[in-house]
Amino acid sequence: MLRQPLSRALALSSPARVAPLAARRYADAVPAQPEKVEVFIDDQPVHVLPGTTVLQAAAQVGVEIPRFCYHERLAVAGNCRMCLVEVEKSPKPVAACAMPVMKGMRVKTNSDLTRKAREGVMEFLLVNHPLDCPICDQGGECDLQDQSMAFGSDRSRFTDIHFSGKRAVEDKDVGPLIKTIMTRCIHCTRCIRFASEVAGVDDFGTTGRGTEMQVGTYVEKMFLSELSGNIIDLCPVGALTSKPYSFAARPWETRRIDSVDVLDPLGSNIVVATRTNEVLRILPRTNEEINEEWLSDKSRFACDGLKRQRLVTPMLKDSRGNLAPVEWEDAVVAAARALRDCPPDKLLAVAGGLADAEALVALKDLLNRLGSEHVCTEHYFPTQGAGTDLRSSYLLNTKIANVEDADFVLLIGTNTRFEAPLLNARIRKAFIHKETDVALVGPKVDLTYEYTHVGDSASIVKDFASGTSSHEVMKRLQQAKRPVVILGADQLKSEEGPALLAYTQELAHKLQENLQDKEWKVLNVLQRTASQVAALDIGYQPGVGQALAAGPKVVYLLGADSGVVTRESLPEDVTIIYQGHHGDVGASIADIVLPGAAYTEKRATYVNAEGRAQQTLVAVSPPGKAREDWKIIRALSEVLGAGLPYDTLDEVRDRLSQVSPALVAYGDVQPNNYFAQARALAQSLQKPVSGKLDVQLKQLEDFFMTDAISRASPTMAKCVQAVLKQKNSPY
Amino acid sequence: MSLGKYLALDKLANLFNILKQNGGIRGTLYKLYRQEEAKDGVLVGEDKFGNKYYENPRYFYGRSRWVEYNEKFHLNYDASQVTSEWYGWLHYKTDLPPHQDPSRPKYKWMIDGNENLSGTTGQYTPYSTTRPKVEAWMPKKAE
Repeated sequence: MLRQPLSRALALSSPARVAPLAARRYADAVPAQPEKVEVFIDDQPVHVLPGTTVLQAAAQVGVEIPRFCYHERLAVAGNCRMCLVEVEKSPKPVAACAMPVMKGMRVKTNSDLTRKAREGVMEFLLVNHPLDCPICDQGGECDLQDQSMAFGSDRSRFTDIHFSGKRAVEDKDVGPLIKTIMTRCIHCTRCIRFASEVAGVDDFGTTGRGTEMQVGTYVEKMFLSELSGNIIDLCPVGALTSKPYSFAARPWETRRIDSVDVLDPLGSNIVVATRTNEVLRILPRTNEEINEEWLSDKSRFACDGLKRQRLVTPMLKDSRGNLAPVEWEDAVVAAARALRDCPPDKLLAVAGGLADAEALVALKDLLNRLGSEHVCTEHYFPTQGAGTDLRSSYLLNTKIANVEDADFVLLIGTNTRFEAPLLNARIRKAFIHKETDVALVGPKVDLTYEYTHVGDSASIVKDFASGTSSHEVMKRLQQAKRPVVILGADQLKSEEGPALLAYTQELAHKLQENLQDKEWKVLNVLQRTASQVAALDIGYQPGVGQALAAGPKVVYLLGADSGVVTRESLPEDVTIIYQGHHGDVGASIADIVLPGAAYTEKRATYVNAEGRAQQTLVAVSPPGKAREDWKIIRALSEVLGAGLPYDTLDEVRDRLSQVSPALVAYGDVQPNNYFAQARALAQSLQKPVSGKLDVQLKQLEDFFMTDAISRASPTMAKCVQAVLKQKNSPY
Repeated sequence: MSLGKYLALDKLANLFNILKQNGGIRGTLYKLYRQEEAKDGVLVGEDKFGNKYYENPRYFYGRSRWVEYNEKFHLNYDASQVTSEWYGWLHYKTDLPPHQDPSRPKYKWMIDGNENLSGTTGQYTPYSTTRPKVEAWMPKKAE
């Protein structure tokens, strides 16, 4: 089915852990730099490392060889034959994607023989490909369309299909996200390779051979993966297309706006495709530092949630206690009156998981001007010890891309597969390609790769930190040259959170001290939301527990929808002001609703879990009377008579850079340090721990609906239904 | 040609006639303001809206029959306010005005024409049949 170069196939040695398709090598083995060989691509000399394929060598001199099955991030299959090129002294044309270069090789990518070979391959591919481009969703972005125009013949010699008809294949049902039109499939097997290598789902494969060959799940089964949407992008033809986007638009009709995803803490780079002020789809944008070219399903498909359950007008509670639409002036005046009449120590602001840095800093400045210091985030983080003063204690210090180079990964109380799917894809990549081992302290979950399950007790972390553990993982950690410890921020909520963080810091510090590579960072804390890092950078207090206990009179919710603030936890006479973009948990308990903009509707700064500031751009305008969030707070401050000193976005960003220059250093990650100091401050917190570590997202159905946008999305609801249905299926 | 015509005295007589028929200088200026011309003619009839129909063959064909709309319309008159009975006469389809035409059918199912309501509050406004792009959140009503 899948082929790979012989050298790679032979390297598949370890029988205990069969890595699909790709060769394994030891991460710590430093390969000696071999001598480069000279090859000639269309008579241009190029020096490449031995083992490079002809196709890669050609790419180095800017010659692009047409291909269907070859993909840089997947194993080489070499079955589409589109990349055939003429090599001098070779009797037949060779497949450039699978052919390693040899010294003095002369490749002709545009000779008569090459062109004839391509034309022949294209003719064969089109024998059974339906001519339904006018109704095909891939039209306009189809590799087959483009390449048949560029390299194909103007006619086919297979005239018998007029009598015998073309091959037809029944469509498969692989879930609510991917639409399959299998007749269009050209058997490039990219989807199969993606599923088995990156997504870790081995359900895809081929059956039959020759004309009878079919790609599919062997029995009818949903594609149970959190990365399934990527096979839509990978498919070079229209066999796999997006179900929610089907028949919606053509690529040339849409405007594409670069943006950043906020539905998970990684801040994947995205392209928002819009038409007539409507978000039609979201595609990944390549960023090697974060998401490579993948995107998780929630980030990709939850965009229809941006059109449902929206707050489009300000609202006030009327005399009967119902929220009624009002004008901005009335709502802002009512909110200002509530804030003004409240004693400063009874004022509380809570920021939710989708809040942007501009709104966060404006809200904090406003409350500080009113004399209150109670600005909180929804998610807790221990404030004892170094607390949130040292940035390194709450970030992914290793950085997402560097996780690939790790040789041992210890996950503590986190299910990276659902909390940060693309980080998990990186760990899986390291696991498959680099002999990296993974251990997990926490509940047993499916991470798509094998790992050593150490247990779910918090005391295991204590034993690791003190070095008293006799577990095999302890030895592996100590021997590792580039270990990574990832702590899930959810574990820090409990009573034992500070101790757990202290032990993790202790463990990371001990491991780091023994490393040869002094630049390597061991400690990582994986936050759960896109706003948490920015909020902590700006100086928000993590967690609302204490602030709620103080009995506030006015609560200002900035998109706080996770349900930690409830009517029951507040005094009877409290006034709740909700500012946000979706009618969710927060808006339903509010007295005053101020409609804000979602992440596709504002130019805003988000800081991802590694501490990388990135900005979203305006793709569509906010619906109805909704406005950009920082502007609402700015207007409110004016009515309150405590005008904030910024009128434009640039001035807000100046203010952000005063708070922390890292917040406006777009695209960069500042190096983090002071691990030793953080550990020293936390040492007194190392108290005995006895609790069990549990994660919130255990199964695939938990993954899809986690925030206000994805909870409003019909597609995500369908996914949950489909996964639950698949659970009951015998397959 | 008579001397009077030679000296254009008949034109002068017409002017006085027009001034007289339109109610003196003030009345004529008002007519000029309201309908941009002042003519003299024979009142042929009046429709049920109070619009008056005049004829004067001295004006050339096409301008020899005209309507003066009811005062109540003031400047908001419109050709659609001419009733269907008078339409034919005004447009030279027939020379017989409706009250002198015995052959016109009169059935009880015939209804009055109505004027064009465009630009008024009574105008027809098409409604959208497409779904709204954004569905707003509806807050739960308290019982």
